Amino acid sequence: MIRALVIALALAVSLGPFVVLLLNSVRPTDAFLAPDAGFFPAQITWDHYRAVFGGDGETFRFLANSVVIAAATTILALALGAPAAYALARLRLPFRLSLIFALAFLVVRFYPKITVALPYYLIMRDLGWLDTHLAVILAHVSITVPFVVWLMLGFLEELPKEIEQSAMMDGCGAWGRFFRIILPLSAPALGAAAVLTAFTSWNEFLMASTVASDVAKTLPVRISAFITDKGTLWGNMAAMGSVIVLPVALFALLTQRYLVRGLTAGAVKG
Amino acid sequence: MGAVQFWPLAQSLVVSFHDWTLARSPVMGRWVGLDNYARVLGDGQFLGAFSFTLSLAIGSTVVSLIAGFALALLTVGEDWRLRSVRTLLLLPMVIAPVAVGTVWRMILAARIGPLNAGLDAVGLPQPNWLGDPLLAQITLTLIDAWQWTPFVMIVMAAALASLPAEVIRAARMDGASGPLILRRIVLPMVLPVLLLVAMFRLVDALMTLDIVFTTTGGGPGFSTQTLGYWIYVQGLRYFNISYAAAASWVLLAMCLATAGAFLVWRRRVMRWQDLH
Repeated sequence: MIRALVIALALAVSLGPFVVLLLNSVRPTDAFLAPDAGFFPAQITWDHYRAVFGGDGETFRFLANSVVIAAATTILALALGAPAAYALARLRLPFRLSLIFALAFLVVRFYPKITVALPYYLIMRDLGWLDTHLAVILAHVSITVPFVVWLMLGFLEELPKEIEQSAMMDGCGAWGRFFRIILPLSAPALGAAAVLTAFTSWNEFLMASTVASDVAKTLPVRISAFITDKGTLWGNMAAMGSVIVLPVALFALLTQRYLVRGLTAGAVKG
Repeated sequence: MGAVQFWPLAQSLVVSFHDWTLARSPVMGRWVGLDNYARVLGDGQFLGAFSFTLSLAIGSTVVSLIAGFALALLTVGEDWRLRSVRTLLLLPMVIAPVAVGTVWRMILAARIGPLNAGLDAVGLPQPNWLGDPLLAQITLTLIDAWQWTPFVMIVMAAALASLPAEVIRAARMDGASGPLILRRIVLPMVLPVLLLVAMFRLVDALMTLDIVFTTTGGGPGFSTQTLGYWIYVQGLRYFNISYAAAASWVLLAMCLATAGAFLVWRRRVMRWQDLH
């Protein structure tokens, strides 16, 4: 009984903010300041969504940027990370190079990205790539590839080597084994890596805000600017917030199996 | 990967030993040795951000560890209802930290936020959650804990599920009480995982900057500037490149030292466990 109550309370604290966000996004502007405005809006308005998406179509552009960047990051991070993990797991490199590379991937997880953001801005400026999709995608790929490598490494170490050995006997080369045997077998790990990578890129703020000022701007960068806007457009802020939050929340519910596997893989076995 | 992460990393270390303000010069100035570091460590704003970052990281880690572990104990199991509850409780951690800040800013708004409206309705005082320096620091710490408690819960639930059931059943048959089993059997067995989770939480919390942008913008005054936020403003808004680079290396050293300390601690615990 107490257990059910505590769980109910935890659910309310966890999900309540999402409800507030959604309600505020359809609450009429004058109802925000009304002293007797209830928790649930008496009337519903779509004005805030219209305001956010209307006008110059900026929000559509930022939404499209977020989608394109997250998709490109996911594809690239998997395409680079999966073969890299396979190579680290199976190749015998001299001087314990495999271990050194693996640790180099791990260390990326443990230093603040702000240290990289400043020089990254300068490098992109010198290359003339500031405010391009490529600059944001490159940054996101470099953050997420280590994730993919570590997730896949943990998974590959558990795979029995016998299947590969018999394929090798039959004359199957390293790339052949990777594409025909390893990739199909590691679908669950790849799924987990893809989900985590997509989330990370969609939510990432620091690197995107460092290099993208307009053309390549993503939704998280746009919403961070609301605090400095004259006055606070609560309704618009809530509408924009809902656009960022709802897709990932739904996606998370649909892919929770992969998500949980990805989040727990390293830590529990570790 | 190496080019995109480690080359800039090396470059920022080089820059931190030079004199360079982007507003004054497009190219790097002269070598100044440890000057930037000395100035950073004597800067009141840096020290303020440093102490707030430390207390936020420790506070948020402790709160999320306790809440997350408690939720894991409450929801561990393969029953479909428990699994759905865990999935729903997961949601705070999958949304963008900037959006988390935005949502909480709306909830905590002093005059129009639903929290204070609720407190008003039951006759309680309505604090200015983000407007008072000390209270804003506590609020930000709790917002960070809110977002990352699910991470602790998910990992600990997996760790609890992998414990050997026989041991716990045997202890229960011997008449051991729930709290005793928790303290003497469960906790020691999940300690290595718990330490790993604590390490991830601490290091990530030391890097906090997103939520500051959408809740307080570092205010009131400079009370809620985290190190990450302060470095961002110094480097990317005022373009004090070398100064920000030096500060960012201090933060980097803190993060790596924390991670290293926890890994050593965890190895000690595991070795001790192997002996017993």
